Amino acid sequence: MSEQTQDTVGTAPAADADPPEPVEQERLTEDAVEAAAAERAEKLSTAPRTDDGIAVPSLGALGMLRWTWRQLTSMRIALVLLFMLSLAAIPGSILPQNSIDPSKVTTFYQSHTKWAPILNDLRLFDVFESPWFGAIYGLLFISLIGCIVPRSWAHFKAMRANPPAAPRNLKRLPVHASFSTTAEADEVLKLAAKRLRGRRFKTVRGEDRAGGWVSSEKGFLRETGNLLFHLSLIGILIGIAIGHFLGYKGAVLVTEGTGFSDTVTSYDSLTLGPWVGAQDLPDFSFTLNKFSATYQESGDQFAQPRTFDAYVSFKSSPSAKARNEDVQVNSPMTINGTNVFLEGHGYSPVVEVKNGKGDVLFDGPVTFLGQDEYFDSSGAIKAPSNVKNGTDLGFQGWFLPTAYISSGAMPASIFPAAQNPMLILSAYSGNLNMNGGEDQSVYSLDTTDMKQLNVKSKSASASAGNALELKVGQTATLPNELGSITFVGVKQWAQFNIAYDPGQKVVLPSAVLAVLGLIGSLGLRRRRIWVRVTEQADGTRLVEVAGLARTEGATPTAEVTQTAQSLAAAVRQPVPDGAPA
Amino acid sequence: MSINENFAHYSNLFIALALVGYAAAFFAYCGEWAFGTSSRFGKSVEKVGTAAEGVKLGKQAAAPKVEAVNAVDGGNGVTVLTRAVAEEEEPTIAGDNLRAEIVGRFAVMATFIGFAFHAAGVLFRGLAAHRVPWANMYEFSCAAALAMSFAYLVLLVLRKKVRWMGLPVTGIVLLTLGIAYTLLYTDAEELVPALHSYWLYIHVTAAVISTGAFGVATVATILYLLKSANEEGGLRRFNSTFDRLPSSVALDRTAYRVIAFIFPLWTFAIMAGAVWAEKAWGRYWGWDPKETWSFIVWVVYAAYLHARATHGWKGKAAAYVALIAFACVLFNYFGVNTLLTGKHSYAGL
Repeated sequence: MSEQTQDTVGTAPAADADPPEPVEQERLTEDAVEAAAAERAEKLSTAPRTDDGIAVPSLGALGMLRWTWRQLTSMRIALVLLFMLSLAAIPGSILPQNSIDPSKVTTFYQSHTKWAPILNDLRLFDVFESPWFGAIYGLLFISLIGCIVPRSWAHFKAMRANPPAAPRNLKRLPVHASFSTTAEADEVLKLAAKRLRGRRFKTVRGEDRAGGWVSSEKGFLRETGNLLFHLSLIGILIGIAIGHFLGYKGAVLVTEGTGFSDTVTSYDSLTLGPWVGAQDLPDFSFTLNKFSATYQESGDQFAQPRTFDAYVSFKSSPSAKARNEDVQVNSPMTINGTNVFLEGHGYSPVVEVKNGKGDVLFDGPVTFLGQDEYFDSSGAIKAPSNVKNGTDLGFQGWFLPTAYISSGAMPASIFPAAQNPMLILSAYSGNLNMNGGEDQSVYSLDTTDMKQLNVKSKSASASAGNALELKVGQTATLPNELGSITFVGVKQWAQFNIAYDPGQKVVLPSAVLAVLGLIGSLGLRRRRIWVRVTEQADGTRLVEVAGLARTEGATPTAEVTQTAQSLAAAVRQPVPDGAPA
Repeated sequence: MSINENFAHYSNLFIALALVGYAAAFFAYCGEWAFGTSSRFGKSVEKVGTAAEGVKLGKQAAAPKVEAVNAVDGGNGVTVLTRAVAEEEEPTIAGDNLRAEIVGRFAVMATFIGFAFHAAGVLFRGLAAHRVPWANMYEFSCAAALAMSFAYLVLLVLRKKVRWMGLPVTGIVLLTLGIAYTLLYTDAEELVPALHSYWLYIHVTAAVISTGAFGVATVATILYLLKSANEEGGLRRFNSTFDRLPSSVALDRTAYRVIAFIFPLWTFAIMAGAVWAEKAWGRYWGWDPKETWSFIVWVVYAAYLHARATHGWKGKAAAYVALIAFACVLFNYFGVNTLLTGKHSYAGL
């Protein structure tokens, strides 16, 4: 078919060309040409409009316009909303957030007294719960639904519809292969249809003035994947909502040797979903038997933690048998669908406080909060007198797990493990105001009605100031026969997060489907292949195969070439009817 | 398990040697670009697309802007016509300059050598610490740079004409590895408890590969913007250099394909991270700064994919979106790790 070839070389327009001739225009990029070819093919393909339900539901001209408008706008709006969503998320990562760490928000308030209230009014400390953030993703999902629902319907119809009729001039398509044969047109077309069907193309045959044709299409899974992905996003959103309404999360701090039972009062903090009541909390309980931590002891990652183990015994219900479990950071304990996670840890020095008469006012572990990587921990010890108008005793200061005392500097911890524990405490007497109306922090003293005692001892390091220094086993006597304090020992505490999120059962499968849909949507190609047989003047038949990608840059060159080659080979040595193609 | 100090030492040595290899490659690529400039890219471009022993029957002058129709004998008397095959007949950076070609080949060789040391460095780091070698910022940087040069070399081995990527890729790898080696270095050590999970292998591996691939896509995007500016008549001083780059269409397509290929993996990386977060922290999503910025990166790349399918956003506008997206990737890595505090801060950054 060399003369046929020569004709086309140099992009000479074919005789039956369509009016616009983009091929002749200079400086057209390949993309534009391909797009133009695609457009032409689309035009041709939609000529018998009922045949093609892919792009246009048959709604008439007005309906079509409206549909086009909606398509365009929703995509643009979606784009704008995507940008807005990403911009809106930025302050949530830069400013402290109440949902992540409320104490940081408080600190921010103290250091930015002028700006903080304004930022708060803009809900910039609760970005991800704010109405404006919600509005953006709400609109985005409305836009998504508005786009996806009609597209799903169109896609459903497209999958049921036949591929469009073959364009008249197949040479105009991005890839085209041809050969001549003496075989009958019907035989060639039958074979072509069979081959294409065998390669899972959706195939249809037809005839027009120019001759018979086969039209085929493949790659519907691309759009299926696209739709699946977007629908899965809705699934994720629903799952998040379920978790919000039906889930709960709480935090609890447990010291070695003490326990926790799942009732509202035993939580340090608890957030119940709007549809969850206190009676819905499961009635499990557990005791922290021992907490152990190991740390790097040398090198440039000195003091980095290496292992955390919280050894607990738990009961899934009050009547159940206790079972032992080792809770680690990445291995939570699961009790009837509720998960218990190890979140943090610290030290609880055990102290005994006596009054001047020798009565024990307080005896037990006191939770101190670690402030840095060496666990310099701050806290307060409160020993109320327990008698009316009695003298309360209070202490506040530091617990150092591995104290190092150098002259001229504040004693400080130099390692996170309790290798040389020490308490450094200021002592107070007076009224702790513990019976007052307001809630007190357990980590600090209200010293308004208290008087600091002069406890400076000769042995204590000068830099510690007016404070007691106690090692394990040591007792300090307070002045004026007010009493004494003994550093009995060291316990550790662990903080557990307790979470129940039924929405996960929806979120995870949706997420998996979203990834699968995305792979299909971005990895598969949708393309059409046409075969056309025309009678030639010399009595032979010209067989043309041409292809068009409906996906950018996916011209099915190899497929068209192979189809033409195998077809040419087959019609020269015809296979018996019924043999596998 | 204790750290194998010898292996850790070898690892550092190999990374240093990799730096030397990449530096040699980088300078050689520079030479290729420089020498290639002295030869105008000629009119005849060999190689036509589809069939193996294709006979080129006709083609217009080589300027890629003009549409070409190629006819090839496809065997069995089949004639195949292909339009728009510009990306398969790209010029080369060396042009037809012999010196440039020799230096370019040396550059490829040096890249392979640098890569071999690089891979050995990462491997020995893992052997030294008995774990995946991407658990802190130093290791993550080394691994992401490795993923990037690996992607480039795979394309080369597959005989794709991507030597034009050599200069920017080795440049970025050199920069990343250099920053890692000098600023981010930390000794090979065991993991903090938060990382004691097989999700480290899944989540971080996906993130490493995605980061490297987004880097490659960014190289193609930047070159696309420069090339299309040149095609529109800008940057005339560098005409001879731009002539030897692939067409803007091909560059844009390369960027798109890489992003389209890697976006599902990035999605997976975030989701794997969410599954891990659920297991470690009791919630699958908590707007931790790293989570927030990963989400931002995801949304901006999603915007890029939508932009390419939207009239008026195709081409340059979409390319700028891709650049913004990569800026977010960089901030998510350097900015979030060093400036913001969150749950993703681990030993040695």
